[in-house]
Amino acid sequence: MLRIQNLYKRYGDYIALNGLNLYLKKGELLGFVGPNGAGKTTTMRIAAGLLKADSGEIYVDGIDVNKDQKKLKEKIGYMPDFFGVYDNLKVIEYMEFYASMYGIIGNKAKQISMELMDQVNLSDKANDYVDELSRGMKQRLCLARSLVHNPDLLILDEPASGLDPRARVEMKTILKNLSDNGRTIIVSSHILPELAQMCTTIGIIEKGRMVVNGTVDEIMTKLNATNPIIIKVVNNQEEAITLLKTNPLVENISIKENSISIGFLGDEIEEAKLIRTLVENNVYLSSFSREEGDLESLFMQITAHAEQEV
Amino acid sequence: MFHTNPVYKKELKISVRTIKTAMIILAYNMILAVIGLFVFYASFDYKSTIAGVVNYHNMMNLYEILSVIEFALILFIVPAITSGAISGERERQTLDILLTTKLTPLQIIRGKLASSISLILLIVVSSLPILSIVFSIGGIRIIDLIQLMMCIVVTAIFVGSIGLFFSVLFRRTTVSTVFTYGTVIFLVLGTIGILTGVYLIINVRIDTNVVEDAAHRIAPNLGNMILMLLVNPAITLLSLFSNQFKNKEFLSDFLNNYGQCNRVVTEHWFGISVTIQLLISIILIIMSARLLDPLKRGNTKRGNSRRSKTKRKKNNQY
Repeated sequence: MLRIQNLYKRYGDYIALNGLNLYLKKGELLGFVGPNGAGKTTTMRIAAGLLKADSGEIYVDGIDVNKDQKKLKEKIGYMPDFFGVYDNLKVIEYMEFYASMYGIIGNKAKQISMELMDQVNLSDKANDYVDELSRGMKQRLCLARSLVHNPDLLILDEPASGLDPRARVEMKTILKNLSDNGRTIIVSSHILPELAQMCTTIGIIEKGRMVVNGTVDEIMTKLNATNPIIIKVVNNQEEAITLLKTNPLVENISIKENSISIGFLGDEIEEAKLIRTLVENNVYLSSFSREEGDLESLFMQITAHAEQEV
Repeated sequence: MFHTNPVYKKELKISVRTIKTAMIILAYNMILAVIGLFVFYASFDYKSTIAGVVNYHNMMNLYEILSVIEFALILFIVPAITSGAISGERERQTLDILLTTKLTPLQIIRGKLASSISLILLIVVSSLPILSIVFSIGGIRIIDLIQLMMCIVVTAIFVGSIGLFFSVLFRRTTVSTVFTYGTVIFLVLGTIGILTGVYLIINVRIDTNVVEDAAHRIAPNLGNMILMLLVNPAITLLSLFSNQFKNKEFLSDFLNNYGQCNRVVTEHWFGISVTIQLLISIILIIMSARLLDPLKRGNTKRGNSRRSKTKRKKNNQY
């Protein structure tokens, strides 16, 4: 649905995108994560046809973003990170106004608008003025607006920014429902755990490059592979340490009371072999497990360098 | 265009709901009414009481005065409406959303201009009862009034397209408004000022060169330089008066102050100036649409650097 290859964008001396690659399949909900200044908004603006890349390719459902703007606009629904509303326009009129931009008018526009407002829990606000809505309601209205022409790809730039916890949960639920109904969505945030709960895939961008891309499970597996293994021994701790030191896959051994923490570069089979070696040498184990990682620590680890520079 | 453009519809809907529009119409008609009734009173009631004589030819003067006031008010109102049309969307942060819809930049510009012209038409039509004072005695035809309306609409399109152009060019409405009013003042007064300045310089030169034979002194002739007044909406109105009142040579009397220019142009001044102003409007509208297109604007170095500066200011987010 979305294919970005070697995307470059500069703002003067600043390199916003440095050969970004991104692939999004139909029906996926991609969490596009990165620290401030990583290039998320630039990527989304280019995908939405609001900005021209210096070089690289970007296709939405096979359409070259730079060449066929008319078709692109039918395919995408865009929600910017900052947006305003019109005073003196009612919620239903706001929806109908944007529907008319796509040639949807009259009763059909009203019907679609009401259905979408129902999806974002705003149907009871149809006759209220837009500027009277709360921030969270405006965000939901903008989301409904971006769906008015039934786009194939939804590009949402930090849709939950500035919302209180309840409104964030509501927004997450709406996005999850949209995804469950087969909608392809790319949603940006600088908070990874927030997206991890609802996204099918995650892409972490740092300094204009995609550093991690895959399903949440894949990323978690990769993350755990680098986490230390904690071994709790009942007896023969010294013997255990000696054995561990001789294993070429073991590094960084540290001891805390009866627990030994090791960096282990092997996979699950290698882990099993290590357990057998220890047991065969009369080291009794009460526990052998890899420390569970979380997405937040992964994000902090990946973006630490960028954060220092920003 | 006028029936289907969503921007046009939305702008009209919003503008009729604001108190600002009602106040503009009220103020516009009040100014016209006060001045119109004052001139009417001064021309007829006062003169008939004090002097015992009424010159019905003064009705022409009343028409001219009301037309000039109406014209001046339009020149004042149109920049206020159009100079914030696009920059206002940008400031409200609604422009990006508009640009990602199926509407083309040209359609957005057309919708904005059409809604401004519609508002001007509303204001002008609302003033018709006041303008119809001139019919009370006679001498003014309906066709004269229709011509005046058309002249005002053309001026509104011309000034409106200038306002829209600056509104696209500058991010801030205040800057755009200053430039729009500046351009309008230049067109109305600046062009006359330039001609007068050049005239005076040439006059001084003639005076210093021809001192011995003052009897054969030749008045300065700016020739076709006078044609720059074709873009001056005030001179267009003057030419309309000349066409409407054959016994008054407003235009030629005025232009003769600066010398002689192409006779054909002078004879068809109204038509030519209206055509030129409409052509300039079309060019400005096309340029505005091009500037508004993010991808076309993005090709220019200026577009990139401008985006760059504002982006960096905004939350350091890229």
